[in-house]
Amino acid sequence: MKFRAKMLDVLYMREFQAIAATLAKLAKDCVMILGQERMHFIVNEEHCSTSSPLVWVSIGSKDYFPEYKMTPARPDEDFIVLVMSAMHLSRALAVLRSGTSSSVHSCKLKLKQIQFPCISVIATVVSPSSAEPREVVHDVPVTVVPASDWPSFVLPKVPSTQLVLGVPSLRLLRSLIDKLKNISPSLIFHGSATGELNLVAESEMATITTRFSRLLLHKVNQPQSPSATAAAAALEVSCSVDTRKASAFFNALQLPNEEIMIGIDKERCICLQLDIRSQVVLHSILPAVCI
Amino acid sequence: MQHSKLLYEKGIIKNRRMLTQSQYENYKLVCRLEHIKTFYSSIKAICFSDFGTLQASEDGLLITVEQGKSIQATLFIAPAFFAEFKVDGAPSFSVKINVLAECLSLFGLSDCSIKMLYKGEGAPLLLLLEPHDDDQVSTECSIKTTNVEEPMEYELDLNSSSLNTIFMRGPDLSNIFHELDKAADEYEFTISPLKPHFKITTLGVMQAESSVEVAKSSDMIILFNCRETTVARYKCQQIKLTNKAMQVATKVAIKTDASGLLEMHFMMQSDDQEEMYVRFFITPLLELDGN
Repeated sequence: MKFRAKMLDVLYMREFQAIAATLAKLAKDCVMILGQERMHFIVNEEHCSTSSPLVWVSIGSKDYFPEYKMTPARPDEDFIVLVMSAMHLSRALAVLRSGTSSSVHSCKLKLKQIQFPCISVIATVVSPSSAEPREVVHDVPVTVVPASDWPSFVLPKVPSTQLVLGVPSLRLLRSLIDKLKNISPSLIFHGSATGELNLVAESEMATITTRFSRLLLHKVNQPQSPSATAAAAALEVSCSVDTRKASAFFNALQLPNEEIMIGIDKERCICLQLDIRSQVVLHSILPAVCI
Repeated sequence: MQHSKLLYEKGIIKNRRMLTQSQYENYKLVCRLEHIKTFYSSIKAICFSDFGTLQASEDGLLITVEQGKSIQATLFIAPAFFAEFKVDGAPSFSVKINVLAECLSLFGLSDCSIKMLYKGEGAPLLLLLEPHDDDQVSTECSIKTTNVEEPMEYELDLNSSSLNTIFMRGPDLSNIFHELDKAADEYEFTISPLKPHFKITTLGVMQAESSVEVAKSSDMIILFNCRETTVARYKCQQIKLTNKAMQVATKVAIKTDASGLLEMHFMMQSDDQEEMYVRFFITPLLELDGN
């Protein structure tokens, strides 16, 4: 079982750090699934009483890592599955964020066995005061999940949704949902194929309706017959979710994206998708609640 | 509002009472502000009790908050402050002031314009918020109104020989209060034509005392008008309620007379030079000892 990967681009390193920081805000532990082509992270604290939703990130290894080599424990296996503290990983990568004071040349990730298995994060940093690069090494302890336990660590699937809308005002959305959690415990997402999204929070004291209009329609379920085409154009779906959970997701986001894709599966769930790059995508699911 | 109505018809919004009432044809109150910032910080400054009373007339809009029978804060906005101000009769109603403040801050730091509408007794107060930097987003808030609770009327006798008036720079006064003993129970205000002119003494449980004196020649003081010495004590907690107003005020007027009733005016200036006032009335503590 071997794994090593190397990042060279400053922008990609910063994004990778932002992903780890986002995960650390959501949960204590994260699952790292290393495949031949992709690296995945999952955080899921649904079983706990916390309000964090299920979030997972898929990273195309070619996008971030010019060098990426993964050898599974046995040749017939496809993955290495690790569990680690999200906070430790985020702290180990924090050096990549460094701004003007020093520059990071490269960052290596390596699976190592010292007294215990760990992911070694090795960043090569150059300070402005010296020409010699220095290495910043963090060993993040990990638990290797044996293949027999993999069924409990399966990557979630994106549920099928009737409608997907792209909302370009992520910053507004974040502060809005953060305030709405003080108004109402549940929040209704109501989207239409005309490119409109309404967020409704109702309580005894107030009703607050926010409309996002002229949104980009990313997907409507393909109609089977011509008569259904008209119906699809007038499609409207809604789903109510836990406001605290939604707020926890938006407040955790550390990425600079301005657009988020919101998929609505009628009265089942809200699927959130953040396209960081074409092969680097963050997903989350907010399950429906009954009002 | 049309928008909420559509959502109600579709069954997304359930609370019918929060829609505009059809038994009224016209609005009793319509007012619009281009920038929400000063208004929001003024509302925050008086947000110390559950309910606030809004009273509109040709002279402007008054929002009054009281706690017990000993402290009253009124936000006064002149019609000139509004980009649009129409009032029919003299509508007055009460709302939960923290819900109003919450609604005003929905878009966080983004500047937005606000329109407030009210139809009449039993109808909700409607707020329409539109951020300036994103014209695809708009919010409608409808806040439940209740029957007005007549605010107490406090008044200082303007012709009284003991009426003392001081105008001070807001940030300076705010600094003075910031440095006062936080653990004190009572503050004693002395205003006198002779030295020390203006003195604040703090009195604590442990008989600890501290005092600040401001001479009338000080740069902090814009106007000092005093003929007779007045001394009165106030509850520290009540004085502290003026904190938020003081922090954002550009100028503060302090008025009192022999009765000890304290009137403070805080001038909130926005970028476009228009002004908003917050006025506090604080009743003095009774003299316990007979000296």
